[in-house]
Amino acid sequence: MLLVEVLEKLNILSAAAKYDVSCSSSGSNRKNKPGGVGNAAASGICHSWSQDGRCISLLKILQTNFCVYDCAYCVNRASNDLPRAAFTPEEVADLTINFYRRNYIEGLFLSSAVWPNPNQTMEALLRTVKLLRTQYRFNGYIHVKAIPGADWRLIAETGTLVDRMSVNIELPTSESLQLLAPQKKRENILQPMKLIGSQIVESQEERKQSRKAPSFVPAGQSTQLIVGATPDTDLRILQLSESLYRRVHLKRVYYSAYVPVSTNPKLPTLASPPLNREHRLYQADWLLRFYGFEAKELLNEASPNFHLQLDPKSDWALRNLHLFPLEVNKADYRFLLRVPGIGVKSAQRILTARRFHSLDFEDLQKLGVVMKRARYFLTCKGKYFGQIPYREEAIKEKLLAKPTKVENYTQLALFSDVENQQPVQDALTSITGEL
Amino acid sequence: MIIYLYDGSFEGLLTAIYEAYYRSEKPEQIMAQDSYQPDLFSQPRVIATDSDKAGKVYDAIERKISHEALEHVFYVYLSELPGLGTLIYRYLQFGWRVGADINGHLSLEPVREVLRISQKVGVERHRMLGLLRFKKIQGELYYAPFEPDYNIVGLMAPHFARRLADQNWIIHDLKRGLAAFYNQERWLIRELANNTGQLNWEENEAFYQELWQNYFQRIAVEGRTNRKVQRQFMPARYWRHLIEKPTQ
Repeated sequence: MLLVEVLEKLNILSAAAKYDVSCSSSGSNRKNKPGGVGNAAASGICHSWSQDGRCISLLKILQTNFCVYDCAYCVNRASNDLPRAAFTPEEVADLTINFYRRNYIEGLFLSSAVWPNPNQTMEALLRTVKLLRTQYRFNGYIHVKAIPGADWRLIAETGTLVDRMSVNIELPTSESLQLLAPQKKRENILQPMKLIGSQIVESQEERKQSRKAPSFVPAGQSTQLIVGATPDTDLRILQLSESLYRRVHLKRVYYSAYVPVSTNPKLPTLASPPLNREHRLYQADWLLRFYGFEAKELLNEASPNFHLQLDPKSDWALRNLHLFPLEVNKADYRFLLRVPGIGVKSAQRILTARRFHSLDFEDLQKLGVVMKRARYFLTCKGKYFGQIPYREEAIKEKLLAKPTKVENYTQLALFSDVENQQPVQDALTSITGEL
Repeated sequence: MIIYLYDGSFEGLLTAIYEAYYRSEKPEQIMAQDSYQPDLFSQPRVIATDSDKAGKVYDAIERKISHEALEHVFYVYLSELPGLGTLIYRYLQFGWRVGADINGHLSLEPVREVLRISQKVGVERHRMLGLLRFKKIQGELYYAPFEPDYNIVGLMAPHFARRLADQNWIIHDLKRGLAAFYNQERWLIRELANNTGQLNWEENEAFYQELWQNYFQRIAVEGRTNRKVQRQFMPARYWRHLIEKPTQ
């Protein structure tokens, strides 16, 4: 392989793939085989963190960025003038193996633009995956995109070889799709998702009967939604996620704050990606999956978007003050989970610890409860520690996020002009994609 | 004040705990010999390591408390933190009284402390499973130097023996002069001095390093730069042995 050529391809095809936020490598426990290389770690392993604070776990590349589609939001759209390239299956396999043997990565995340048609694109992906699994005897983690419109047999065969598959919905409603990606049909996107979903359930059933039954996408299926490229509300997005989790058994829905990659008049002009909104959606997504909440509890038609200064759980609790304060030593697990400042781990610790003695305010801190939020919603042995009147406005004032502290990494020189320094726009944490 | 001194090994520590149970002279502290500093009030008692006695304590932890407790004790031992001998002693004293329930007693200082330290060691192990970097040396050998806070090389070796089963590798803890060696069949830990001298990299090594460095730069989305989070997950003290170069 020629260094310059591969280097150039890698640069083009990784830059084209970076807007896909998923990088999770968890949920599969694929074992290594004698003479083979690699296995999957059920917990997932991050191997590095890029300059944007996101975890790097997989080699995330496109097979090709030549594309027949012209979706307005996408950097790879046909009308965009940018360098194009395509990897051969051998090149992808060689990169994956050599990165893997040096422990740079946990596996491969292979995606592709559609060229020249869905079937041939899917065939190319399948060829690469097959090469890795059979010739290179690679048993590490592989995440592959299913291409909407490709023959189901191709997708199904790919599913027997990989750990995770995903189909990106990108735009939450048919109207948005019509506006920004008129060549794509919502039904064509949802159909393979449904098929993959039911195949996963079927294979799980078979594997309960016999452990030798072949696995199908053992780490589950995921998708991605773009936030902020269209006028869709948080409520629409969250309802969509909810139905995907319930009906199609999706493992994860990823949310990607729209990063302006085009000046198309159909797209909004944003100063910076709506990271705060993305963050709230992730919080709400966790509430759906691990805390027993439903979308309709968190948002409604009257207030269809999340409060940007208040996390979704606190927001919900403030609207439902009649359910609180909760007695920590008696409350049911399901209700403990609904207290702002108590997470899954601290709720479980509370259950364990209170078997041995009843808990005080001080104990809760040691168990990892975030007291600056939880104190207003709890009693310990009948005592309330909020220290302010139990009223919505009073508590809300305490919970509202303080204006983010301006962080600036330039060192102050003795005579530097402090006035002229730009505050950093958004110092929010990004979600790492780790489960 | 009676202080039991052991030779620094895990067996030595377990022997000291055995003696603390059977001797009438109970220790107030248990510590490794080389971290002991004599003073007027302390009465040191040197405990000779005895693998039979250590084995009995090992079994008694597993049988009368739990396998989980044994693992926590070992992780705390690997932390090499000052005061760990006494802490483990207190934890086990309590553990033999209450049995398998021990880790639920979070209101007790030694229990909380053992769980906290054990978790820190576990976190570093998990982190290093990702951050370790191998370089290929001529003669089909992969070499990974690192400098972990805790003595975790033995906790990492089984993972790589399963994963990189068909290659020869060395994981070298430069801080402690220890290394795990693997020859495609089994792994073992031996002392390995720091001065490995000039290593001859395999001819493609620089090529893949350059590819990885480029990939690392390209994969970040410019509009979302967030160095603070990057450093939070990947503290700067680990950067030295990475191939990629996160900038300050």
